[in-house]
Amino acid sequence: MSEAATRRPNGLALFILPGALLFALFFFLPIGLMALMSVLTGNPVVAPKVAFTTRHYARMFDDPYYLEVIWTTIRIGLVTTLVALVIGYPLAHWMARIKSRTGHALLLMAVLAPMLTGIVVRTFAWMTLLSDKGVINQTLISLGIVSQPLKLMYTETGIVVGLVHIYVPFMVLTLTGVIGRIDERLEQAAENLGASPLRAFIEVTLPLSLPGILAGSLLVFALAISAYVTPILLGGFQIMTLPILIYQQISANFNVGFAAALGIVLLLISLMLVIAYNHALGLVSGQRELQ
Amino acid sequence: MGNSASHSPLLSSDRNAAPRQMVSASMRTASGPTHYGRALYLAINVAILIFLLAPIAIVVVFALNPTPFIQFPPVGVSLRWFEKFFASRDFMHALGFSLQIALLTTVSATVLGASAALALARGNLPGTRLIVATMLSPLMLPAILTGLALFQTYVLLDVGRPTWGLVAGHTLVTLPYVVRTTLAVLHNFDLRLEEAARNLGASPLRTFFEVTLPLIKPGVLAGAIFAFIVSFDQFPVSLFLVSPGNETLPVTLFNYLKFDLDGTIGAASVVSIVLAFVVVVGLDRTVGLRSYVKL
Repeated sequence: MSEAATRRPNGLALFILPGALLFALFFFLPIGLMALMSVLTGNPVVAPKVAFTTRHYARMFDDPYYLEVIWTTIRIGLVTTLVALVIGYPLAHWMARIKSRTGHALLLMAVLAPMLTGIVVRTFAWMTLLSDKGVINQTLISLGIVSQPLKLMYTETGIVVGLVHIYVPFMVLTLTGVIGRIDERLEQAAENLGASPLRAFIEVTLPLSLPGILAGSLLVFALAISAYVTPILLGGFQIMTLPILIYQQISANFNVGFAAALGIVLLLISLMLVIAYNHALGLVSGQRELQ
Repeated sequence: MGNSASHSPLLSSDRNAAPRQMVSASMRTASGPTHYGRALYLAINVAILIFLLAPIAIVVVFALNPTPFIQFPPVGVSLRWFEKFFASRDFMHALGFSLQIALLTTVSATVLGASAALALARGNLPGTRLIVATMLSPLMLPAILTGLALFQTYVLLDVGRPTWGLVAGHTLVTLPYVVRTTLAVLHNFDLRLEEAARNLGASPLRTFFEVTLPLIKPGVLAGAIFAFIVSFDQFPVSLFLVSPGNETLPVTLFNYLKFDLDGTIGAASVVSIVLAFVVVVGLDRTVGLRSYVKL
């Protein structure tokens, strides 16, 4: 087949235009403007004299407070990713290997139902569980296991628990796809040759699912570092992350330039993750697939 | 009120599914250590399922509990929080506004997303991989940045916080779902069907309407349903783009949550959970979940 003949755009290619226009006007233009605002001294529409400046970035990198905020965000993201992987892998493995169709459908619903429940609602659910007078503390106190309520909320641990619950479905779905593509006969062959199921898993399945582990981890990390609702509600406004700081700069300080600079930093981190994620998925599906 | 009833069958059948698996697994492998390993494997997985579903169950319990604070174990069943929720002007206005935004978003995301997917799969566009990656990128890029960037743009252009601006933001973050589900069906179906129609003399337009469109309909529908529910639950974009007095339900819930933790919020949550369950089950019944949730 000649490449030139098959690759010439046809009439259907025009259907891309409305979507492309949406992205141009409401995605690339706004992000371009955000990048521009991050290097300007003020709003060019209202302020008469506006100059280029690097002060927003300098402020971020000179002040240990802001570096600490970035580090907190990344630390919460890393721990969330790790826990989501440990919890997500067994479930993904089960989903990929379960024989019964009904069983698979039920598992899928169990994973999707939390995913399709709003972030605010799920965070609220964790507040009822983790707060000082929440379900967990009430149960522990009434059983006499603890006398004082455990400090579960307003801690990084609380944030991580909430974030894991919210983003583990993404890990499960990514891993299920990858594990499902690993030929089960490879594990059976290892077992027939005398390996225990655990050893067959560690030496066959696990290495073959590494690209999925990578893709799922990148996805969860990217989502976790951009979370706003969960860190602010479960952290009780006491733990500062990048998204919280960004919103605060807009709502409380109306410092659009600094918010834009923080946004660009978060965007660059996320972009790197997106590229790495696509690369990791490319390892799974080969180069031919579009998605 | 059938809210809790629509939940419990799902939850209980999930728990029932586990022991059944355990039985069949233990029959397959008779050897000792394997047997324990299998039991451990299932126990871990059941624990993970409980972790996933228990918080949702707790919200339902909380919503039906008559006390104004969290009481565990629950002391009774009452619908007072649902009454309070449905009687609240703020919540009802927010619910209506959210539904309106979600419907508008669904229409625009479905039309734009499905046509983009068609162009990407059949248009022989150069750089298809890059375009697909770009169109799916709002899924991974922080939605709060989409909100921030749009907010700054609307401020710079001095357009205020219009409803169309909110719908545009929602369309941007829901479009990837439609693109993905539509692309999935476009890639799965047999190209020879279209070729056959052409060979039999159908025009490209007629081929599209009589062969391609009916075949991709399930994918488009699944994408539309995802778009609706994602828009209905959307928070970070809305946070920047709503105007006071015209807030979506998640934003109203969030503002309420910052100060109060009573059963009203539980009732509001149950309403949105029920909606999500109805959508998931509906999606499974109509088009089948399996093919559309590949990440």
